[in-house]
Amino acid sequence: MDFTTLGGQFLGTIPLGDIVLYFTTFNLFMFVSALVFTAIIAMSKTESQIEADFGTLKDKEKKVSKAEFKIRRFLAIICGLATAGAMITGDVFDYTLFVALIGIVNIGIVAAVKEIDVLEAAFQYGIIAMIASLPLFAGAAFILASSGTISLLEIINIPTTTMMFFGSILLFIGVAGETGVAPFFATKAELFRTAGSPFLVIIHLSSLLIIVRTIEILLIINKPF
Amino acid sequence: MAISKIKTQITFLLLVKIKMNLMANILLNVLAAFLVGSVLFGLQRKIIARIQMRPGPPIIQHLLHTFKFFIKETVFPKTAAMPFYIVITIILCAIWVAAVIVGPVTEGSLLILFAIFAIHKIVEHNAGSSSGSPYGKLSCVRAVFSAAAEVPLFAVLLIIYLQTGTMNLSDIIAYQDSNGALLFSIPLAAMMFFVLILSKAYYYSPLNITMGKDLVSGFETEHFGMLRGFMMISESIAWYMLLWIFLTVFIGGLTPIGYIVGMVVITGLISLIDATTPILNPNHSVMTQVTLAFIGIVGSIILIFYL
Repeated sequence: MDFTTLGGQFLGTIPLGDIVLYFTTFNLFMFVSALVFTAIIAMSKTESQIEADFGTLKDKEKKVSKAEFKIRRFLAIICGLATAGAMITGDVFDYTLFVALIGIVNIGIVAAVKEIDVLEAAFQYGIIAMIASLPLFAGAAFILASSGTISLLEIINIPTTTMMFFGSILLFIGVAGETGVAPFFATKAELFRTAGSPFLVIIHLSSLLIIVRTIEILLIINKPF
Repeated sequence: MAISKIKTQITFLLLVKIKMNLMANILLNVLAAFLVGSVLFGLQRKIIARIQMRPGPPIIQHLLHTFKFFIKETVFPKTAAMPFYIVITIILCAIWVAAVIVGPVTEGSLLILFAIFAIHKIVEHNAGSSSGSPYGKLSCVRAVFSAAAEVPLFAVLLIIYLQTGTMNLSDIIAYQDSNGALLFSIPLAAMMFFVLILSKAYYYSPLNITMGKDLVSGFETEHFGMLRGFMMISESIAWYMLLWIFLTVFIGGLTPIGYIVGMVVITGLISLIDATTPILNPNHSVMTQVTLAFIGIVGSIILIFYL
């Protein structure tokens, strides 16, 4: 098995000490997509959300204040960069750090909002993300302990053992919790009721790109053939 | 000296010819995807109408709608998040053109096609929320909620890999040439992918909660004129690509006529389902897809490893 059976043409590596970034067509596409979205988010204004006002025939306009805009944009950019990094890293521990960072900034992006329902959803999502950090890092630790390395470029040549498989399951549970995908999706949908479209998009973008990348990583660790 | 100069010139001309051929191939495939996708959407409306005892619009109606939007005035809501509101339509077009390049043109990695589909979900989400309209916003919230329904998508990837040992489309086609169509060896994965296609059907799909008629046009409601035209082009290409992936991955490489017949059959089947079922509420839609995914995943693993 090699990288080309998963992500297409192998384009090269960037060694940064122990951590080696690698590019296949797939990784490059995801990396560029994350960066493009981050760049657009950095230069976008927020929308004014129009809602019906109870008791009158008037509309209610929800806007994002300047102070809130600044902090949310900053966190959205950090989230975009962490997602881009997670797309090309060839190191499992590095990957788990990026995923944990994404979980933290995702909570931050909505925690700045002054709406009770949204804050409650952020609180619930935060609890899940915090709990999920244990299986996330434990998964990486199990993979290191059983294979002797956390470099995907090395792991791809090591036969899969039962403990590596067990570590992968923990890693997957951790990623699912940190990114709020099924079965943890319900509270996450509630976060999106607030205004600030460009910042909210990065929460969803990071989740889906991370899940696609996780599939690649799990298939590298667990070689069925 | 002169010979090496001629050799260099010949190499240069050959490279130019290869690049021109590739460009022509991409353009032709994108054009074909748009036209076939649009006509299939029109066919979908026609079949639904005939089942409901209505004459229905002509089959080229979706195509005419798309062209119509290009000659309409393009206006922007004053509440929109600029420039995201505009850029999102360009991104939607770009990702599906990229899908055509990765799919029919180069037969690259299936992982990239699924990444493109994931980005399509983001675009759906943000096209809705960037306008400030409550209809778009609800569509956006539903897009996030329906992310749970992406479980089948990722499960399909894993099952295909477990069966074939590769993610490259050209290798998957070669596998099917020697081992028979995957439709028969992993039918539950095909079922899961079919449910995914059903959830993306443009007209009256029971599972497409982001485009439910209670939300007018869902995430597209506040995009007008040329922007809407670009969105409709992208959706036609997206429909063509979803059907193309299904046929290529589960039946194998077909002739152009084979692809068209297959696409018409699947569109007809989906139209039948759309015409005879109500649009489910968001909870029911998501839970239906998650339940089918669970059956598909467990059943496929049993089929691969124990039968």
